[in-house]
Amino acid sequence: MTNSTVAILVIILLSVLLSLGSTRLIALVKIMALQGIMVSLTPLFLKDHGTLSSGAIIFFQIMIMIKGLLIPGLLYMAVKRVAIKREIEPFIGYHASILSGLAILIFAVFITNQLSISLPPGHDIVLITAITTMASGFFLMMARSKAITQVIGYLMLENGIYLVGTALTKHSHTLYVVEFGVLLDLLVGVMIMGIILHNINSAFDDVDTTLLGRLKD
Amino acid sequence: MIEFVFLLPLATGLTALALPASLGRFLLLISAILHLQLSVMSWMGKLTPVYANFFNASPEGMLILIVTSFIFVCISVYSFSYMNETEMENKPVFICCMLLFLGTMSMVALSDHPIVLWIAIEATTLVSAPLIFIHRSKEALEATWKYVLICSVGIALALLGCFFITLAMDLGNLETPLTFSSLNTVASQLDPLWLKVGFVFVVIGFGTKMGLAPMHTWLPDAHSEAPSPASALLSGALLNCAFLGIYKTHIVMNAAGLGDFSGNVLIGFGLVSMVVGAIFIISQPDYKRMLAYSSIKNMGVIAFGVGVGGFALYGAFLHIIHHSLVKSSLFLSAGNILLGFGTKKVQRVGAVIRHLPKTYVSFFAGFIGISGLPPFGLFISKIIIIIGAFQEHRYISVAVFIATTTLVAAGTGRIFMSMSYGDTKENLQIPEKTMRLLPAFALLLVSFILCIWLPDVVFNTIYESIQKIGGTLHG
Repeated sequence: MTNSTVAILVIILLSVLLSLGSTRLIALVKIMALQGIMVSLTPLFLKDHGTLSSGAIIFFQIMIMIKGLLIPGLLYMAVKRVAIKREIEPFIGYHASILSGLAILIFAVFITNQLSISLPPGHDIVLITAITTMASGFFLMMARSKAITQVIGYLMLENGIYLVGTALTKHSHTLYVVEFGVLLDLLVGVMIMGIILHNINSAFDDVDTTLLGRLKD
Repeated sequence: MIEFVFLLPLATGLTALALPASLGRFLLLISAILHLQLSVMSWMGKLTPVYANFFNASPEGMLILIVTSFIFVCISVYSFSYMNETEMENKPVFICCMLLFLGTMSMVALSDHPIVLWIAIEATTLVSAPLIFIHRSKEALEATWKYVLICSVGIALALLGCFFITLAMDLGNLETPLTFSSLNTVASQLDPLWLKVGFVFVVIGFGTKMGLAPMHTWLPDAHSEAPSPASALLSGALLNCAFLGIYKTHIVMNAAGLGDFSGNVLIGFGLVSMVVGAIFIISQPDYKRMLAYSSIKNMGVIAFGVGVGGFALYGAFLHIIHHSLVKSSLFLSAGNILLGFGTKKVQRVGAVIRHLPKTYVSFFAGFIGISGLPPFGLFISKIIIIIGAFQEHRYISVAVFIATTTLVAAGTGRIFMSMSYGDTKENLQIPEKTMRLLPAFALLLVSFILCIWLPDVVFNTIYESIQKIGGTLHG
């Protein structure tokens, strides 16, 4: 556990809080790009992965390309196409969201302290970051009504899961299957949701999910 | 090479994109029959896996594969005629997605690696979303959005659960390959805390896909908005595949000596699903939604039976087979009614017995079957689960089980009666056709035959599936 790892994890945590408080969608997409790069860098700096094969390095580069460039790029295009700049009426306000983010962070520390007995030493801060990222992703999905913000929340959840998958588990067991799985998940997030997003926009002239209320019992 | 079982439909599915719909329909039919043949061959042990670290033929997987494959043959015959009679924006996409859906589900049934299993289940979401959206209405859009969003989030949690199980392996200092079969042999050395956490996440994640309450909210929308053959496939095959993920983890839990914990979790979710399903079925205005809620209730029954274990476990496996057969038959009959009357509202449908007499027979027989009355198999499976639960002294749960079953029978009964014998102002739009009737009858007939005569090979497969976690075959 080196200082650079801690620095990266802190940047991830800050990006989570920033994303909870950002009003403009373009800013949100940029934060997601930063977060994606940082998340895909994390496993490189962890001790257990000291000796990396050349294959692994190529794989991490691909992850950075996808998480840091491809997905934010696609999101950027989606934001431009649906022509919305900001979330007008979030279900939960921005200041309240940031406060909730801090509460989630404290909660994550609490949970990790409860569980860390059986964790390898030095991995507890990774777990804290992962739990915070996942929970904030969930929070973002519930607190915002625009479909595009919900997709971003989903991607954040996915980032947290990637942290758990690559940072906490040994690489020998999973043999890139983890990375492949996460990539597939991101594919769902961006491709399918992007397509639906486009259709929602053309069917309702908006991407507000509160318009999707026709089916109920 | 057992991988052919899922590679074949994946390949033909992609080919179908390039073909016109008139040829694609034949491709659908041919691939379905070939797939059944391959499935039977792998069931008989004629095919061996090439990538043994990822794929393997487990008895429970084989059972679900064979059910899926058989249902798909019936549904493809139905779709053959159905596609001609409905408006679809893009028929090749429909054929392609149906075949890819079959391929990914077969992959679920064959996978032995937790994360490969997860990838396959995630892929089923990916390829079935276009099926739900095929009619392109606003309602279909909403259903697809809910389906993709809720299932993706749920399945992401299941991935987290898989990681926690891997972590439990690391903490136990195990160097075995990460497959379900090797996990079972070393289960006692896994870290129990992380294994428990992992199991809870897996149940929540795959439970979302399986339709367990309270994560079921996508299911009624998706089932009612999808075209009927796709609904039949979703209900009869997809839910089983998600169940397989939970069941395999449950086996690991049992091998690790945590079977009581995982069993209680499953019983809890099962009971909640039964109650939720029963409540929403009563006075449900939409008959396809009614069938969807009935699926939720039956998935609850299966989770309950597996959770109780022992004799009830045998009942749960019978329930999986018969529920798939009867429910997909019902969805196909409902599809005929939908084509005939052009509405999903119970109130506007009436006198099915006069307008669509043959569909009436299959629809009503399906109702008898789904209510758990003889001569269909759900009667036996429910009785066995009740006896099994009594043996395990779960009296309160049994009371809930019987109460919800009665409620569901009463609720569906009222809807079926009003649809079959009530009045209607609608005119018949599309008459019934033999090709759309035979599959529904075939499915019911198989359920009936399996009820009175269970072939030894099926029986042995069920026995092998349940004996790993102490399932017994007698009271």
